[in-house]
Amino acid sequence: MWLPVLGLLLGLLLGFMSDIRVPPEYSNYLSIAVLAALDTLFGGIRAHLQGSFEDKVFITGFFFNILLAAGLAYLGVHLGIDLYLAAIFAFGVRLFNNIAVIRRLLISKWSDSRKKA
Amino acid sequence: MKDKQFMFATIALIIGGMLAIQFETTNNPITRDTRDLWELRADLEKEKQRQQELNEELQRYSELLNKYKTEGKDEKIEAMEKALADLKKQAGLTTVSGQGIVMTIEPFNDELIGVDRPQPQIDPDMLRRLVNELNRYDAREISIDGQRIVSKTPIREVNGNIYINNEPVSTFPIEIKVLAKNNEKLHQKIIASLAVEEFIREDFLVESAPAEKVILPAFDEEVKVKFMKPAKEET
Repeated sequence: MWLPVLGLLLGLLLGFMSDIRVPPEYSNYLSIAVLAALDTLFGGIRAHLQGSFEDKVFITGFFFNILLAAGLAYLGVHLGIDLYLAAIFAFGVRLFNNIAVIRRLLISKWSDSRKKA
Repeated sequence: MKDKQFMFATIALIIGGMLAIQFETTNNPITRDTRDLWELRADLEKEKQRQQELNEELQRYSELLNKYKTEGKDEKIEAMEKALADLKKQAGLTTVSGQGIVMTIEPFNDELIGVDRPQPQIDPDMLRRLVNELNRYDAREISIDGQRIVSKTPIREVNGNIYINNEPVSTFPIEIKVLAKNNEKLHQKIIASLAVEEFIREDFLVESAPAEKVILPAFDEEVKVKFMKPAKEET
């Protein structure tokens, strides 16, 4: 349980320490990629709680979603359509859904354990 | 189970890194240095000048420190009094004299501007600009109409009257006394300055004359210190 949190903290630390900055014209892509990554992470947590977790789906989903989101944004820039909005919308909605499901699962787990006690 | 944990941790690590980079990028974006060769040279020159000034200051203070350290108690007090006197002089709290220029500002007489023209009015901005230009041409001390100009001097307009140091400026002609090392040069420069041109455009006659001895009064009001606190003594 603590390992992923540790990983997150370590990642943040590394990111802040390394002082890498993305040129402003690419910061849009990175923000969408971050959103996609978060979506996948929460999807993974949800699948784990529901017992339907599969490594391959998780790993491929993570990289594929990031690439797809960045690719959509790139295509949008070249077509003159704000296609990244589609990615933001899709990932945003899914993020909320996933977090809501995770919450419910955690609540039901908690109340179950209380009943048992 | 362990594998899954590691996988989550790795993904979390990547996400953490991405988040941190994104934060860094949005909070302090990369700004490109677009200065050309001449600007860089000028900036370098400026920094060098600054370094020299700071070095001089450092040297002055270390000399003062040495003086405090080496001298006896009485001499210490003497040195402090001297420093206090110096500071008072710098702040404009003493009467000073020396060579400089005397300027007068008065409206052109009626024959020159026409009888039906209204009396010209001085705008505080014009006076401020004049003070700025005087300072730019190496004026050491300035007083306007018997009011010493210090760094905190307000020049304002209240109900059509000019107030300097919260005292109303009396009637024309207004006398401006300026101390300068090279009074002849200051005189030449100020008489051809934009600030004086501005006065002439507003129908004022500005005259300037170098003088061997000009006496400037002290700043006689209390200096209000708003943003300074006494430093704690180091033990």
